[in-house]
Amino acid sequence: QNLKCVTHNLRKMICTWDVSSKGRHGQTDFCYTTNDLPPSMCFKTKEKKVEIPVPESSTTVTITTNSISGTALATKEFEIHKKDISFVPLTPRILSLTPDFSTSTLNLKWSDNGSVFPYGLDAFWQIQILRKEAMEKVTQVTYYSKLTHEDMILSWNWTSDMPLECTSHYVKIRCYINITQFVGPKDWSDWSPVAEVPGKDTEPHGSGVFPEDTVVAVGSDVTICCVHEEGQQIQRMTYGPEIYPMIHLSSRSSAIRVLNASASDTSGTNVVCILSGDEMDGTVLFVGYAPDIPQNISCETSNFLIIKCTWKPGRPSGLYGKRRTKYSLFERISGKNVSCEVNEMNRERVCGFPVLADQKTYDFVLGVSNPIGQTEASHMVDLTQRVHPKTPEKLTVSENSSTSVHLHWFINGSFADIRLLCQIEISSGHSERKLHNVSMPGGKFSVYTAQLNTLQPYTKYQFRVRCAAADHFWRWSDWSRVEEHTTLEA
Amino acid sequence: MAAPDSPSAALQRRDLCSRGIRLAGKMRSDVVDLLEAYVERQGLDASASVAAVEGVPVAAAERWDEQTGTQRLLENLAAYRAFRALLAQMLEEQREQLGEADAALGRALAAVLLQVSAFAYHLEELLRLESRGPPSEEAAGPPPASHLSLFERKLRGLGVLRELAQWAVRSTRDLRQLAKPSPGSSSAPSPAESP
Repeated sequence: QNLKCVTHNLRKMICTWDVSSKGRHGQTDFCYTTNDLPPSMCFKTKEKKVEIPVPESSTTVTITTNSISGTALATKEFEIHKKDISFVPLTPRILSLTPDFSTSTLNLKWSDNGSVFPYGLDAFWQIQILRKEAMEKVTQVTYYSKLTHEDMILSWNWTSDMPLECTSHYVKIRCYINITQFVGPKDWSDWSPVAEVPGKDTEPHGSGVFPEDTVVAVGSDVTICCVHEEGQQIQRMTYGPEIYPMIHLSSRSSAIRVLNASASDTSGTNVVCILSGDEMDGTVLFVGYAPDIPQNISCETSNFLIIKCTWKPGRPSGLYGKRRTKYSLFERISGKNVSCEVNEMNRERVCGFPVLADQKTYDFVLGVSNPIGQTEASHMVDLTQRVHPKTPEKLTVSENSSTSVHLHWFINGSFADIRLLCQIEISSGHSERKLHNVSMPGGKFSVYTAQLNTLQPYTKYQFRVRCAAADHFWRWSDWSRVEEHTTLEA
Repeated sequence: MAAPDSPSAALQRRDLCSRGIRLAGKMRSDVVDLLEAYVERQGLDASASVAAVEGVPVAAAERWDEQTGTQRLLENLAAYRAFRALLAQMLEEQREQLGEADAALGRALAAVLLQVSAFAYHLEELLRLESRGPPSEEAAGPPPASHLSLFERKLRGLGVLRELAQWAVRSTRDLRQLAKPSPGSSSAPSPAESP
């Protein structure tokens, strides 16, 4: 009775049947005719299972049960129609289950066995993740792929909500192939054997608090576990100053779940596992923010040697030292990249980029990253429009006449490509301060000179000077030091 | 002490001892302050019990009374050389982990390191007075901490500072022993006792 036929590959089918349990049976004679086309195929079998071709339309089967001595006991004929044949894909074969402990991610690879099937079939894969000593189901996911009539290796990643070290993780997979033109019943394959990533709690002397010294974003939910040696008990687990309820994972591992973690102190938040026998283990969790998009980027040069870019960092990340936010300046036109040495305690950030020969326009991308995230901001600048000269130095005055003098000063920088506008402030005694503007070709680490006329003879004057770019004014330099001078007598 | 002191050597030793006692007293109060700040800044439990830290010399000494002056100096010097290396390691880690974020703690750590270095030098002076001179510094410093997790390093730092505070007390007692006039030398006023 109950003749059932299942195919795994649409070409062959495995038929099984039951035999009434009365008396002891010998071999069985199995004959079948496919699609009513002779000849009939016969053979003997001890098992109650045979593999025969899948028919185009139907197969006629005759099964004769014999006694031990070989005399026929019973004969039955079956008509198997296409619609009676079930299609169940072969159990998928897991090729590898690879853990990435740093990201708590499992990578699953398996073969889709596609070569067995025609091109283009839709395949659905149910992947189940189990965990803990009790192998509790954590999640089940359905993954979709298309078969290509070739054996393809499929790959799938899953990130656990707890460190993989905490306890063993298991994965199993089964598949369903949607063959619309197959008229018989279709079903999921069997589950594959379980693939395992053992936790630290299975290692003989495995112990520790995990994740170890990791960085997470503010607002994250974090699971932290304490793995201890056989025979030890966890008395309590604290996150910062607070004792947290424990979640049992296995006989050697328990966890706490921190919800909506808030920003940690500079030295991180300690997670402490107090064990029996006055022992203690722990880890440090750094909770901070991904970098903010830099604001108010501004770039200028004071000497046509270095471009100095400044910006406002936005919300502090709360991460310091080697976890701090790092900056780099990439210039698209030249392709040059510079990493910036930034003091995280300063409100304003500064980065220097070398002025490049024959390049006036700079298309900057300020890259920002820290262990939680990264961002960037762009800034285009025409350098000749962003000149902020250094303070004029070595201001000196030389006589010319009782009503005129020459002023000389030095500016550190290479301004040969632009004209400079300099402003001289003239003050004496109680008279009103006067400003005298003069423009001149820029030079390379040059001394500049200007003549002042219409001065009063035999009068004590104070002079100081500042400069800027003449053609595209951006910012004045600071004022030079004041230089005093008394004009000649008339 | 091998040979009875000449008056000038005894006077010089007593002077060095009394200055050493004052150094140790100041160091101890700074270490106690640093310990408090360290516990608070590192988010530790002040009552946390810390297992013996590898490479950290233990202040408690068996048969302390029976030690000779040279033994005391040698043990003290070995300890403060070890602390010098450990504190330098802690300072390096502090900069790596926190950068500029906790400069105050960094400065306090650096200040204690300076005092420990000065005290080690002071002990070497005393040993030179013993005309045997200080032993050369062993190349091997404290075990690297890189294999330790951050939490273990925090605990280690706690252990180092606690032990250093104990050593400062012990050094004061050792130096008082040393300052006592050895037999056959003229007695001189004992050094100013620091609290």
